[in-house]
Amino acid sequence: MADLDTTQRKRLLERLSNVREIVFGVQDGVLTTAGVLCGLSGAVSDHTQVVLAALASTAAGALSMGAGAYLGSRAETEVMRGELKQVRAAAAAKPYVLQQGLLEQLAEEGLGREAAYRVVKLLSSSPEALLTTATVKMFGLGGTVLGGNAAIDGVLMGIAFAVGAVVPLLPYILFTAPYVGLAAALAATALTLFGVGYLEGWLAHSERRWPSGLRFLLIAMSAAAVGYLIGLAISPLGAAAG
Amino acid sequence: MLKPGDPAPDFDLPAANADRIEHVSLAKISSELILLFFYPRDFSFICPTEVTGFNNARAQLSAENTAILGASVDDAESHRRWARELGGIGYPLLADQDGKLARAFGVFDEKEQVALRATFILDRQRTVAFSLACPLNVGRSVGEMIRLVSALRSGQLCPADWTPGVQFGRSDRKF
Repeated sequence: MADLDTTQRKRLLERLSNVREIVFGVQDGVLTTAGVLCGLSGAVSDHTQVVLAALASTAAGALSMGAGAYLGSRAETEVMRGELKQVRAAAAAKPYVLQQGLLEQLAEEGLGREAAYRVVKLLSSSPEALLTTATVKMFGLGGTVLGGNAAIDGVLMGIAFAVGAVVPLLPYILFTAPYVGLAAALAATALTLFGVGYLEGWLAHSERRWPSGLRFLLIAMSAAAVGYLIGLAISPLGAAAG
Repeated sequence: MLKPGDPAPDFDLPAANADRIEHVSLAKISSELILLFFYPRDFSFICPTEVTGFNNARAQLSAENTAILGASVDDAESHRRWARELGGIGYPLLADQDGKLARAFGVFDEKEQVALRATFILDRQRTVAFSLACPLNVGRSVGEMIRLVSALRSGQLCPADWTPGVQFGRSDRKF
């Protein structure tokens, strides 16, 4: 019966709706910091200076990503709430349009026309139930989109970025020998990226968790590699300017 | 879409009428006028007001020697269940399942695969005396249809907004 506990499952789904922020934050924190460590290790010989610069980058990145997630989430919620308000007004003025729209949607999803009519008629005995169902089925509005908390999104994103940044930073701090710290940081980065992908597969109840981890690692590292190659390609421009 | 003066296409279709399934043939209808209205689908939240509206106007139209026929692309059994859902409908709902009748009247929406919300009044010769089509989302005025039936049966010159009891127009001032 535990699997059918809808209240618990609903709470779990609400929590899982923040997976995007966590995955995005960790991935960005890991890759950005690894990139900073790689770049500065070549340019700056002082280990402490590299660490301080990476810490500064982590603080700025976490704040920026947190603020960005907060503003983005808030904007999304506001826009969706505005749309819902319009739908509510239209539904109050012309309930039959909403009823007909929901009926057509249910029929399109495979419910017989007569059955769909009866479902909508039954729902119509509670205007709120009709509106809630119609907004979800017809417009995809509701649930986690409308119930989201922008502040939580922002805080989670910032923390996730900082946690991600610690992954390459910590081994780099612990191993001070030239290249050893960097190699350890890159290994930890790869391992973490794979772990995030694996976790994503686990949360999705997927049987293919290893491929999920490898896919995440491959995509993230490819993005980093392409970024590095673009940097190499444009570096002659900097030399020419100097 | 057929217009006044066009001959109405003949038909013989299954229909639901007063909780029975029967066949309705244009040739066998004896009333002076026939009010034929097409509607998109059974089990809809927009159409019932028209179907029940015409049902409520049965006595008035019967007094005008006018038969009512409804038609949609649903089958006769669906019509019967829909009529029950609406509390009973006392005129035939034609099952124009393939849309042939709607196409013959020029009111079939090929994109939606349903009939337009169109109304025809046929005279004694079964010629179109009146035709009107509304958008799918706009219902017709049953009262206006009754007024038109009265006006058509009067055989007189009926000025704008004429209603029974109001003076007819003078035939020497047609224009």
